[in-house]
Amino acid sequence: MADTALALPKRRVGKRSRFGENNLVGYLFISPWLVAFFLFAFIPMVASLGLAFTDYHILRGWNYIGLDNFHRMFYDDPRYWRSVQATVKYVLFAVPLRLVFALAVAMLLNTKRRGVALYRAAYYAPSVVGGSIAVAVMWREIFGREGLANFILNQFGEPSVWWLGNPDYAIWTLILLAAWQFGSPMLIFLAGLKQIPEQLYESASIDGANGFQKFFRITLPLLTPVIFFNLIMQLIAGFMTFTQAFVITNGSGRPLDTTLFYALYLYKRGFETYEMGYASAMAWVMLAVIAILTAIVFRTSSQWVYYEAQEGV
Amino acid sequence: MKNKKRLLFTLLVLVTLIFPSASVFSQDDKIELRIAWWGSQTRHDQTIAVIELYESMNPNVDIVYEFSNWDDHWTKLATQAAGGDLPDIIQHDYQRIQEWVGNDLLLPLDPFIESGVIDTTNIADASLAGGRVNGVLYGFNLGNNSETFIADVDAFQQAGIELPPADWTWQDFEEIALKLHEELGIYAIGGNLHLSEHWKGTYISCCNAYAYNAEGTGLGYTEDQDHFFVEYLEMILRLTEAGAIPTIEETLARTGTSVEDSYIVTQQAVMEYGWSNMLVAVWAAAGEERNFVELTVPSFADGYPRNYIKPSMFWSISKDSPNAEEAAKFINFFINSVEANEIMLAERGVPVSSAVREALQPRLGPAQQAMFEFLGVVEGYNSPIRPPDPPAHADINNNLYGPQVIEPILYGLMTPEEGVQLLRQEAEILLEQ
Repeated sequence: MADTALALPKRRVGKRSRFGENNLVGYLFISPWLVAFFLFAFIPMVASLGLAFTDYHILRGWNYIGLDNFHRMFYDDPRYWRSVQATVKYVLFAVPLRLVFALAVAMLLNTKRRGVALYRAAYYAPSVVGGSIAVAVMWREIFGREGLANFILNQFGEPSVWWLGNPDYAIWTLILLAAWQFGSPMLIFLAGLKQIPEQLYESASIDGANGFQKFFRITLPLLTPVIFFNLIMQLIAGFMTFTQAFVITNGSGRPLDTTLFYALYLYKRGFETYEMGYASAMAWVMLAVIAILTAIVFRTSSQWVYYEAQEGV
Repeated sequence: MKNKKRLLFTLLVLVTLIFPSASVFSQDDKIELRIAWWGSQTRHDQTIAVIELYESMNPNVDIVYEFSNWDDHWTKLATQAAGGDLPDIIQHDYQRIQEWVGNDLLLPLDPFIESGVIDTTNIADASLAGGRVNGVLYGFNLGNNSETFIADVDAFQQAGIELPPADWTWQDFEEIALKLHEELGIYAIGGNLHLSEHWKGTYISCCNAYAYNAEGTGLGYTEDQDHFFVEYLEMILRLTEAGAIPTIEETLARTGTSVEDSYIVTQQAVMEYGWSNMLVAVWAAAGEERNFVELTVPSFADGYPRNYIKPSMFWSISKDSPNAEEAAKFINFFINSVEANEIMLAERGVPVSSAVREALQPRLGPAQQAMFEFLGVVEGYNSPIRPPDPPAHADINNNLYGPQVIEPILYGLMTPEEGVQLLRQEAEILLEQ
């Protein structure tokens, strides 16, 4: 093994034809991944783009219908707009909440204390199992009739609430779940916090800065690249949320479509009423919207993201 | 040269990695049949027991089964249909079989009856009629069924209320429900009064009409009949207000609850709406010491009986099944074998074979007896089976009836009049397409 590893660089500098052959071998080695990528990702994506312009129904076959799917979405489908509304509300609350939680916990775990590694693992755990069915099922129980949420309410003498049947509360159970699953952004924040040079805090202390000042003048500005990264990732994940709503509300989007996330509605159109053409069109609109939003965030980043290297240190 | 060797080696490694054991090793000569059904845990256990019995009697057949709940069953089947990978035997439903036949996915079963593979000597032709599409048999009826209000006899007794007669009306129901709630402090009925079955049922029982017209191109009731469904919904609102039935919050929060957790089983409700074969699962979950009967669904005053006999579900054979004949043999076994039916004990509804019914008679538990008795009452109405829903029904039910009409009405965002009007307006558009 060691031989070949050492021998490789030598061959690289050889003739061009050999270089090409080596590439071929490389492609062969990654071919299982390539096959899977083309079979399960690329080809289906291209196919779904094509299907977006058809009325493909799983049982009935398809006809080319031009832009009709998009017209229907924007003008003739009241549920579509309710799903957009539910998704936007979710993203608007869940993403900032999750980021704030993640940062707060990351700062707590950044202190030098005994057993901090254990806490780090413990706080990351919910996110490892985060998107899973089991967590969603557990959440449903917490907000069930005899669940923890009602138990706490009852302790304060308040009557029980049907959390998942109440149009005002149902989506908040999902937002809370999202906030609770702060693990992966937290880990990234933690790594970012560790990059901030200790001397900055020391000199700030000498200058008499308090905790708030240190946070707002040092931590936050130096953390902006990490915040930026987390924001983009969570924004994308937020728009594509599916499992939680699917399990917790039984895939219904109820009550009154307040938890009808875009991805859930898309699924329902595709797999409940079998309108795959329409579902594909919805998927591509979502892709476009996410792309545009991401681009906007990128554009604004020059205004608020601070890269140390640019200062020419 | 060296490179070529290496390339060859790499290829070999890859081939062995990508196709591990693929069809290199010879398979035994067993015939493999795939079968899929939906149902409750009781049904899963029983059906698997029957499959194992069949396998022990036919060692050359290996049956691979997939079971799930109603929603997942259809999701899975749809993707399998699109991928050309349908199971050989599919549990099918009266509401959906027409569309499947229309898209050429199922195999006609008449040839198997003609050739004697499926024996129908003990089966009344009326029992098979529901499985015919345009005169051709595509679904084999697995049991007769009807809508029902399952009632807890002991609770009625405890409340000092007599069980209602078969021709009770919604007025009677409302009175009884209020009294039950008053006497016992629990719900009169566990919920599900908001389902679209009651919209369709309203027009059967008020006007001997149906929600959709015969061609499936529009609604089957006139605008001046809208008020019947409005009256029904107003009754629901009154009963909810009185606390005699669960609120919509409670109902929706509980969607997906299994039979085992239904309110009639947990004694939080006196009645439960469902299909007659459900009683077998309810009673099994509730325990032998309880007592239940099946009641007809109430009708409108001066109306027509709401109940009619319907095939609970079918076995169908998929069009491209490579072992259609073997599949038909299994269906025959399922329908005609006394041994198999002794395992299932009418869980899929009253068996269609008179020989099986007779053989089961001494072994029937109280649940089956109550169900057989109830279906006897419904048979007496001689009501025709209602036409299957048009293909647009799934869209109307999922995207219009629930989220845009019933929920807003029951959450108080819309009056019943407004809702019923909207339902008419939007359903007509979806049906025209």
